[in-house]
Amino acid sequence: MENAEKYAKVDRDILAAMKKPGRVYLAGLAFTASLVAIGGILWAYQVRNGLGVAGYTHPVKWAIYITNFVFWVGIAHSGTLISAVLYLFRARYRTSFNRAAEAMTVFALMVAGLFPLIHLGRSWVFYFLIPYPTQRQIWVNFRSPLIWDVFAVGTYFTVSLVFFYVGMIPDFAAAKRYAEGIRKKVFTILSLGWKGTDKEWRHYGMLYLFLAAFATPLVASVHSVVSWDFAMSIVPGWHTTIFAPYFVAGAIFSGTAMVITLVVPLRKAMNLHEYITDDHFESIAKILLFTSLIVSYSYIIEFGMASYGGNVFEMGSFRYRALGEFRYLTWTMIFCNSLVPLTLFAKRLRRNTTCLLVVSILVNVGMWLERFVIIVTSLAHDYDPYVWGTYRPTFVEVGISLGSFGLFFTLYLLFVKNLPVLSISEIKEHI
Amino acid sequence: MVDRMIFEDRDRFLEELRRLVRDGVPGERIRVITPFGVPEVGEILPRKRSKVRFFALVGAASGTVTGFAFTILTSLSWPLIVGGKPIVSIPPFIIIAFALTILFGALSSFAGFLLFSRLPSLRGILSEEEYGNAFVILVEDGERR
Repeated sequence: MENAEKYAKVDRDILAAMKKPGRVYLAGLAFTASLVAIGGILWAYQVRNGLGVAGYTHPVKWAIYITNFVFWVGIAHSGTLISAVLYLFRARYRTSFNRAAEAMTVFALMVAGLFPLIHLGRSWVFYFLIPYPTQRQIWVNFRSPLIWDVFAVGTYFTVSLVFFYVGMIPDFAAAKRYAEGIRKKVFTILSLGWKGTDKEWRHYGMLYLFLAAFATPLVASVHSVVSWDFAMSIVPGWHTTIFAPYFVAGAIFSGTAMVITLVVPLRKAMNLHEYITDDHFESIAKILLFTSLIVSYSYIIEFGMASYGGNVFEMGSFRYRALGEFRYLTWTMIFCNSLVPLTLFAKRLRRNTTCLLVVSILVNVGMWLERFVIIVTSLAHDYDPYVWGTYRPTFVEVGISLGSFGLFFTLYLLFVKNLPVLSISEIKEHI
Repeated sequence: MVDRMIFEDRDRFLEELRRLVRDGVPGERIRVITPFGVPEVGEILPRKRSKVRFFALVGAASGTVTGFAFTILTSLSWPLIVGGKPIVSIPPFIIIAFALTILFGALSSFAGFLLFSRLPSLRGILSEEEYGNAFVILVEDGERR
């Protein structure tokens, strides 16, 4: 095939996703949108009636909402790993996943950002967390991990959004040629008048490199800061030094699983087998396996430190985790995060997308449970047996959590139909 | 007057570009339009390195300074001891400074890119000129300029 034809085929194949949606797509969108509606109604119900409708009881005052916050921030991480870190390492298979992963990062952070507000109860006073001069003359407490979160997650969202957009500028210029009507106008404006001159490409290359370099430390720093929300306290089960690397590995692990969960159906639905090959899936499966091993190692260290450290409270907390009333969740978590991914040692399974999809969904379940187990069991069972308690989620919390999944997948489905799902200019470059 | 050459093939485009430079056409008069970044163009047409990197440096440095100045000065303006920590607690302030370093660095690099590439360009948005997937060499007539 002539080069010109090959380039035109890339345009056609990738932009074909934007054609009129089919019935399955619309049904999926309707389903996810109805989950969003349910979540929204339940949030309104909670705002009307107060946080009492959530299952918080003394001493468990952080539960599913914070679990969801940590889960969604964690999901975001793999997007940055794939788009920034793999760019710096010049990993070719990155081009198959980077756009989907960057979109995932942005949407996951949007969903994550809602949970601290939902968890506040009085969501409208969230601006107390933002440092700005007021007539009260008082500033936020910069020694508090919750303020670090505002800065870390805020920075992460902004940088990810810029990275996502910058990557799409040349693609908007390509997509506008094929688009019609209002979509053509929007793409033309979003392309900022990009022509593809050597001057533009030169500055663009430098910008992309720097954005990748700036985003790379965020992969490690943001989830470390999130882990310090817990580790800075003195609660047994939270107050350990391994929390930052443990959370970062877990974040990349869960995010990689989510990328696989999203890209396997995407490839099938959009018929992108030529651009997202089994080799690419094998590479990403190796990241999943590797991070799974780090996470399993962290579990061992965590239990090891508790049993060897000689601290009765820490030991009690971990005994409760493994044998207490939440033991089924703990063991499911270990099964999903430590045992299931071991199947990926077999090359045949790494290249089998059905198998990868099943593993990735189980990992997502496992990683959600991990955050739940860490948060709830530690709070329910800390120092004084007199104040030990338990926690059961209410329908409001479950509904809002499902709504968050609905919101994430709704945004993702809209992305798939409205923006180029793969990086057109990068794929052409590698032809 | 602009001399325009359009190629469908990347290699033929690069050959022609090399020939032009060999024939002594000054690099400033050559403009190139490509559907994706072609690294060889940078080798054939010697240009200055992009100055976006200075924006990255200045942005990042100003972020660090802002992060420390903001946290230290606001803590001193209402010196309230919290949790037995010193008023100026450098370790937690490093986290704020670190986040702002990255935020300001990334945003300022983006601003530098827009400035140097002259984007957003209204002329580009309104222009109907379209080369699709072709590689284009534009040679400007030096005498008329």
